[in-house]
Amino acid sequence: NAQEFTLKIQSSDAAGVPNFELEQEWAERIGTMTGGRVEVEMLPVNSIVEHAETQDAIAAGILDGHITDTSYFSGKDPAFGLIANPVGAWSAPSEMLRFVEYGGGKELMNSLLNPRGLQFIGAVTPGLEAFVSSVPLDGVADLKGLKMRAPEGMVQQVFAAAGAAPVNIPQSEVFTSLDKKVIDAADATVFSTNQAMGLHDVAKHPVYPGFHSMPMLEVSINKTKWDSMPEDLQAILEMSVRDLAHDMEARLAMKDMEAVAAARKDGGVTIHNWSAEERAKFRQIATSQWEKVAARSEDAQKVYDTLVDYLKSQGMI
Amino acid sequence: MSDTPQHSPLPEPEEVQEQPLAVSGLLGRAITKTSSLFAFGFLVSMATLIYEILMRHVFNSPTLWAHETTTFICATGFVFGGLYCAARDKHIRVVILYDIVGPKMRKTLDIIISIVCMISSGFFAWAAWLMVQRGAFTPSGDIHLETTGSAFNAPYPGILKVFLLLILIVLTVQFFVQAVNYARTAPIMPAKTGTKD
Amino acid sequence: MFELQSLGIEYGTLAMFVLLLGFLLTGMPLAFVTLLIALIFTLGWFGPMAVPLITSRVYSFVSSFVFVSVPMFVLMAAILDRSGIARDLFDAMRLFGGRLKGGVAVQTIFVAVILAAMSGIIGGEIVLLGLLALPQMLRQGYDKNLAIGVVCAGGSLGTMVPPSIVLIIYGLTANVSIGDLFTSAFIPGFMLAAFYVAYVLFRSYTGKNIAPPPQTEKIPSAEKIRLLKGLFLPILVVFCVLGSIYGGIASVTEASAVGVAGVIASTILRREFSLPMLKAAALQTLSTCGMIVWIGIGASALVGVFNLMGGIKFVSSLITGISDDPTIIILFMMLILFVLGMFLDWVGIALLTMPIFVPIVKDLGFDPVWFGVLFAMNMQVSFLSPPFGPAAFYLKSVAPPDISLGDIFRSLFPFICLQILAVAILIIFPGITGR
Ligand code: NA
Ligand code: NA
Repeated sequence: NAQEFTLKIQSSDAAGVPNFELEQEWAERIGTMTGGRVEVEMLPVNSIVEHAETQDAIAAGILDGHITDTSYFSGKDPAFGLIANPVGAWSAPSEMLRFVEYGGGKELMNSLLNPRGLQFIGAVTPGLEAFVSSVPLDGVADLKGLKMRAPEGMVQQVFAAAGAAPVNIPQSEVFTSLDKKVIDAADATVFSTNQAMGLHDVAKHPVYPGFHSMPMLEVSINKTKWDSMPEDLQAILEMSVRDLAHDMEARLAMKDMEAVAAARKDGGVTIHNWSAEERAKFRQIATSQWEKVAARSEDAQKVYDTLVDYLKSQGMI
Repeated sequence: MSDTPQHSPLPEPEEVQEQPLAVSGLLGRAITKTSSLFAFGFLVSMATLIYEILMRHVFNSPTLWAHETTTFICATGFVFGGLYCAARDKHIRVVILYDIVGPKMRKTLDIIISIVCMISSGFFAWAAWLMVQRGAFTPSGDIHLETTGSAFNAPYPGILKVFLLLILIVLTVQFFVQAVNYARTAPIMPAKTGTKD
Repeated sequence: MFELQSLGIEYGTLAMFVLLLGFLLTGMPLAFVTLLIALIFTLGWFGPMAVPLITSRVYSFVSSFVFVSVPMFVLMAAILDRSGIARDLFDAMRLFGGRLKGGVAVQTIFVAVILAAMSGIIGGEIVLLGLLALPQMLRQGYDKNLAIGVVCAGGSLGTMVPPSIVLIIYGLTANVSIGDLFTSAFIPGFMLAAFYVAYVLFRSYTGKNIAPPPQTEKIPSAEKIRLLKGLFLPILVVFCVLGSIYGGIASVTEASAVGVAGVIASTILRREFSLPMLKAAALQTLSTCGMIVWIGIGASALVGVFNLMGGIKFVSSLITGISDDPTIIILFMMLILFVLGMFLDWVGIALLTMPIFVPIVKDLGFDPVWFGVLFAMNMQVSFLSPPFGPAAFYLKSVAPPDISLGDIFRSLFPFICLQILAVAILIIFPGITGR
């Protein structure tokens, strides 16, 4: 039972974040499932290269793979930004995962990644992000003039279109900027992690469940390495990622609900939940931005066409 | 302490030594000439940040470009600053051994250090070229400078990668020039004290 | 190619340290020493195809927004240095501290704490104090070693007194509240500053020729008012920077630009402004930042290579294998931080150790917030400890040429002891963090 493959996979999560633990457990399960033929070493964010550089590092054979937010590569091609986070398209992880597995998403990802030397294995997601805000937000109208932090990618553009004033500050300055009211709100991550990082101590009006973003985390590895693997190992990897998606969704949702319950009990934090009507309004604004992104590159147009076809076929738009 | 309460005339602002190191040759002089451009960049960065604060705080309309642009300008300054220090031998060195040995050995050390630095810079320049291939071209070979991916979406990452490549090439050549010139000059007689300055 | 991989990670790590030390001593520029070791191990362990790892790290390092505050602080220092503002400030400070033996050194620490509250990163403040406070203290007859120590140790407080980029990065890694980290770091930060003050006073009153004799003659009121005027502009600049941070006008990095603008405005008000002055200041910033940033670049690249070699797994097994006693594990971590501090920049240390230490600390049941403060305190030591002591390098880049690196490191020894004392106190009395 000799070890045949070692995979060094860098995550976009930090070592102490719950998501990283889930990914480490996934790595261990692969060892068990392959009888030790594949050994996966999970590396925390920025440990080998910076988060936006993993795609190049995998292509160069420095890393073997990554579990990362695809929108980090929006600068390489806007198509990555559109497929990673088509703001407004998904209201639950299962909807996104169905598109990836069965609606053409996987083929689309591989058509983007294969020429770059990567093989897409599957997608996972931490779930619908919660919105962090220090002012009460109950609908799209409240976004007008809101000074908020948004990361690169679609999200920033959508908020700008919704009338907010996005500020491009890095994650490392989110806390102090919220605390000192330099900004009023921020696109951070899921509720439980925001809570643990103390964001709700300084911004007491979170919107949960979130309305704005559900990032797709891709699991991909070096294509040459993938092609050199026997079919059984490929199948195990694919199936394990499908299971990781379930694991991540379920366990992070549980953590979120625990955190929400704790926040409700402690008081001091007012959780806002948008009405279906307001959510639809925001979705309307978001989808109007897809076309703009699609116009930016050939591949982005391809993503747009596939996505819209799928959503139409499902009666979702 | 009789001097303290009196206003003595302001000391002449100490000019930054404009003269490049002799061993850096013509290239060193060219680098020193270019330096003002990048030094000026830091002032532009400062002004950009102040502009952003004003726009956001007074006019409630933050820009989408200020932080990206500032980061980019400073990054080019940092990269060029490394070359600038190399050309003027301003990088920090620990000179314990260097000070003990005689002038001849010191000359040998200078040559070897320059050659070793040249070889590593050469490797980095080559690696930067591999990076540029992915940062400035699409897989099909078309030129596409990597952008920031934000709403502003400037091609800063692509430009910075190309810039890093250029600077590493110049750095390699600069170390080569220094190695040649160290080999040609006579050993420096009196031992320098402390860190080279 | 030489097959370094056959060394195994244990001997590989050892070889790395030995080579690092060996090359440092040859007189090779520091930044290139770490880059060279990174290159040797990349080539030897993985082959030439992995070399882009190093350039990728260089690219990422220079393009991070947090470092924007470094040139701003250096620029502030370079302009102040070329104006009369700094000298007037220190003259005015004698009004308050003049009656105390060692008063100006104490006030320098006080200024350092204020600067630390204005910035989240180190580099700029040491340059600032090195250009301003050091010549003033030397001019007034302070012991050279004490003056150097005060500048380096005080100037390093930027990452101990909130806001602190070390604590922010720790918070993001450990998934703990950055607000809690800041709150908990306040008292330990002031405690450390208080240690420095106590040490300065102790030396001034017990040693000979350590500090100038205290002022005895009375200063006439007119003179006092004239001197106090010298305080006005600097206080205004400090007020603008702190006000823009704590008043919610600017983020910490942006506030550093406010400081530069304030200082430029001050020189205009004092009729000391000129374009050649500004150009010279900007050029000095380019040179100093080139030096500071490239030292960080090398360390960051080296850690990336070490992690790829399996460093994370290795260090983590090293720690968990050492003992079952949680206290010994913590002490061992402190030892690792101390040793790494001798060879690496804090960015490299944080990158390397945080992902390893945080899960272990959580598993052992320790409070991760307390450990974050302990980590930041340890980084204080790393700034000063030889042979790789960034604070010493930053000061060296602006100190008078007759002050050698050796002089600086000798001066830092007592301050390192004080920092280690502070680390020990944090371990013995974790309650100091308020947790
Ligand atoms: Na600080
Ligand atoms: Na050190």
